[in-house]
Amino acid sequence: MSEARAPVDDHGGSDFDELELGIVAARADDSDASSRADFVARAVIASGALAAGGLLVTGFPRLAASAPSAAQDKNILDFALLLEYIEAGFYAEAFAKGKLSGELGDYVSIVRLHEQAHVAFLKSALGKEARKKPKLSFGETTSDPAKFTAAAIALEETMIGAYNGQAANLTKPTLAAAAKIVSVEARHAGWIRAIAGKNPAPNATDKPQTATQVQGAVNRTGFLQSS
Amino acid sequence: MSAKEHETEAMSELTLGKLDRDGAIREAVAHVSGDTRARFLGKAVVGGAALLGALTAPSVAAATAASDVAILNYALTLEYLQAAFYTEAERLGAIGGNLKQIPRQLGAVERAHVAAIKAALGRAAVRRPAFDFHGVTEDQTKFLKTAVAFEDLGAAAYKAQAARIKSAAILAAAISIHSVEARHAAWMRFLAGVTPAASAFDQGKPISEVKAIVASTHFVVANPKIASRTNPKYKG
Repeated sequence: MSEARAPVDDHGGSDFDELELGIVAARADDSDASSRADFVARAVIASGALAAGGLLVTGFPRLAASAPSAAQDKNILDFALLLEYIEAGFYAEAFAKGKLSGELGDYVSIVRLHEQAHVAFLKSALGKEARKKPKLSFGETTSDPAKFTAAAIALEETMIGAYNGQAANLTKPTLAAAAKIVSVEARHAGWIRAIAGKNPAPNATDKPQTATQVQGAVNRTGFLQSS
Repeated sequence: MSAKEHETEAMSELTLGKLDRDGAIREAVAHVSGDTRARFLGKAVVGGAALLGALTAPSVAAATAASDVAILNYALTLEYLQAAFYTEAERLGAIGGNLKQIPRQLGAVERAHVAAIKAALGRAAVRRPAFDFHGVTEDQTKFLKTAVAFEDLGAAAYKAQAARIKSAAILAAAISIHSVEARHAAWMRFLAGVTPAASAFDQGKPISEVKAIVASTHFVVANPKIASRTNPKYKG
């Protein structure tokens, strides 16, 4: 954190992705030495989730950070919907396979309903403009406890970074709604990490991720077969 | 799961109010808080070591909307409360078992939040109140219940302010603290054996409600009346 620039830059969001209060990457615990993005990649790769033949997604909406507007809200919410479809699909498949028991079983049975509700909320907000559910492929991550855990951590933390990264690009009413979702994703992340015996909150802040970073994380999972 | 959901939702509301508190413990507040304060500041530097750069940043307050300054000071007050709570628990060393690492781990994070918000506010930062946790920081069960309530409250407090923040940079910082409070809430709930994520959408709490809940704890025993701008800075 050599750049000690205070956030005096208060205009619009054209350079939002670069803005830092100096605390967004603050590390409260040195147990996790790499960046969140790296972590996501490592977790997914370690989980064996990097399925060969996964579609490399290039069709993400351009989320240029211009001044918040209703049109930009729709782009962002549609992007969020894609991510929620992936999460909802992941947990629905894990629940249907029924291979996870104990704490993981409890986690899946509850969290799947939350992600379903997020999908329903976003679809309803977007109306006819809502994207269709993509084709998804999760391999063993929805049946093998260790692979499931790693993939769930990666997905939940990608969601946190994605929502946090778009917060300042949203109009205020939409932000208020998104804020009610992002903390639930954060609770999921804390929960699954606690089950896995990892520090549920290894950093003092959850660093916002750009759409490009989120896109990279999603691509590395190989979960998405079409968008 | 709706009944269970109801129960766990209600828990965060009830625990702070239900913590039994005889009010008899008002001993040596000045002494205790003086000691805590010195240690607190020392720890803040350690816990926020990565933030030393940010601490020397020019204050944003001058260029920041008055409403954003007010929101940051409100957040700072809650972070003071959380930080003091975990820091005192760590100092007393009475919390053990599966909670043994909690005061240290959460204390470091909350102190980092305090340090960052203070740095952002500069001279506009409110001073730290005096706290009296009435023994909760040395009672395993009460400590955990209070931690659950504090973290749920912290997440709800930040959430309700998110859409009121004018500065994109302050919003980015606040929202990235908000989700950490939610992680903590899930963590403490997991340890307490209650559902870490009780519903699909978390609701925010307005300032009046948060202040009423904090007041009901009687943990804040004195609010400094004088802003730091008219007082010498603490020199340790």
